[in-house]
Amino acid sequence: MTRRSRILAVTVLALALAVPAGAYLKLGTRVGNRTESLRWRQFPVRYFITDSGVAGVTAMQFQAAVTRAFSTWHAVENIQISSTFVGFVQAPPFVDDGANVIGYLSRPGQDRTLAATTFTVDETDGRILESDIFFNTIFPWSTAEAGGTDRYDVESIALHEIGHLLGLSHSALGETELIGGGRRVIAAEAVMFPIAFTRGNIADRSLKADDIAGISDIYGTTTFSREFGSISGRVTKSGRGVQGAHVVAFNPKTGKLVGGFSLNPNGDFVIAGLEPGPHVLRAEPLDDGDVTSFFDDDFDVDVDFRVTFYERVVAVPRGGGTRDVEIKVTAK
Amino acid sequence: MSRAILHACSVGLAALALVTGVVAPAMAQSPGAASLSPPGTWEVSGGGVLVGGYQLGERAAELTPNSGSTGFEQFTTDNRVRPAFGVQARVGFVVTPALSVEGGLRFTRPLYEVRVSGDAEDAPDTTVEEKLSQYVFDGSVVWHLAGAAFGGGRAVPFVFGGAGYLRELHEEDALVEEGLEYHAGGGLKWWFGDGRRRVGVRGEAGISIRDGGFDFKDAQRVVPTVGGSLIYTF
Repeated sequence: MTRRSRILAVTVLALALAVPAGAYLKLGTRVGNRTESLRWRQFPVRYFITDSGVAGVTAMQFQAAVTRAFSTWHAVENIQISSTFVGFVQAPPFVDDGANVIGYLSRPGQDRTLAATTFTVDETDGRILESDIFFNTIFPWSTAEAGGTDRYDVESIALHEIGHLLGLSHSALGETELIGGGRRVIAAEAVMFPIAFTRGNIADRSLKADDIAGISDIYGTTTFSREFGSISGRVTKSGRGVQGAHVVAFNPKTGKLVGGFSLNPNGDFVIAGLEPGPHVLRAEPLDDGDVTSFFDDDFDVDVDFRVTFYERVVAVPRGGGTRDVEIKVTAK
Repeated sequence: MSRAILHACSVGLAALALVTGVVAPAMAQSPGAASLSPPGTWEVSGGGVLVGGYQLGERAAELTPNSGSTGFEQFTTDNRVRPAFGVQARVGFVVTPALSVEGGLRFTRPLYEVRVSGDAEDAPDTTVEEKLSQYVFDGSVVWHLAGAAFGGGRAVPFVFGGAGYLRELHEEDALVEEGLEYHAGGGLKWWFGDGRRRVGVRGEAGISIRDGGFDFKDAQRVVPTVGGSLIYTF
């Protein structure tokens, strides 16, 4: 059994840490010729909270916010996950001690990292063995019910980090603008978008369709497999595959958006966890975040193409998949 | 009575009025005994049908705005099902000279059309679409208006009403959507002979109220229908 630690972070304006990711929405690890999704195999996930607070947030308030965030993930229908708060500990997060610890750390050198998640995985099967989450004390925090003025919301950021802890990578469902050498979110439709909303915003206390599709893809029950479907296909440019294209499936009946990526030089993509029904597909270059927020440094991402809609409506079947969709894009 | 049904009935009466409006002057010119089929006669017919389309509405791909930002639409869609020609077949049984019952099938392949516009990253406006396969299996009661016959009794107006089962399949039969269908209308049969075995033509117009099937709203919708068939009785 081999182990490797990984780190994922949610940032204020721009991402400070490289993020390894093996699959769209989900984290993965290479096992031979295939990619194995990272996931917990044993439930409940037992977690500890570091017994220390910061200005405006006691350890108890912090624990309550984290527990609410876990509960939000548990409430997703048709998945099987659970967690248990074990107790307060003196140990800080980010120590390879076999315990899942969530707490504060001071990381002044990471002045654009609000919080981050590490985990240790069994690389033979993608099983998560341990995961820690830290919240950076250099930022002001709040657990106020309506959000704290000019403070980041613990519950919102915890919801994002727990998504990582459960095996989700980042989503690209958001729009940003360059500002002061970093990026500011204009709008996003996924808690797993890598850049946080501004201070005082609590919109990310609720999961979006993209987050739900992702977590269901990992931990879905047989009911989920029977009731939901997928779309798969290729993104091509002049007949050749486009790697790293962001493909979004929009359900015009419900208004829900779920995204995925083309993950290999052939341009292959799969978007799973979709409600049955018609979908409009849109392919766009990955230009609303640092590419390393989504992929390894050595993953070549083609951003030289125009935003393109697939020319057909794609009907997603119940409990099955629609295949062989080819989205033909053109260079800018 | 819901607003949708009320509207449907208005359309139905308008269609009927159109038929009888055309009929009335002709009836005055050509009085005669109506050529009605005797009880126990079977009537089979087949032909074409035009089924009206309907609006599904607009839906935007909205992202949750950040504090200080206004609502953000990545793009907007305008959705509709286009009118479509199709085929229909019916089998009827004459119960009394004026009354018959019939069962039938209508099949059309309407286009579901999505107009995409206003992309936030300047993708050109476009229209994407898919073909639906739409089946209606229905049963109807037909009442022949013998007193309004004209053309020497060969042209017999009728009114009809009934209900059916709606089955709609998305492209490649990827997904089935089901519902109920109710219909009403009026039409005209023109006979080319007398007796039990004979042929004729039939035209009708009406409204079809659909409850379920492919729709974005949980409400009934009304579509007009116009059809024409060849008839054979025995």
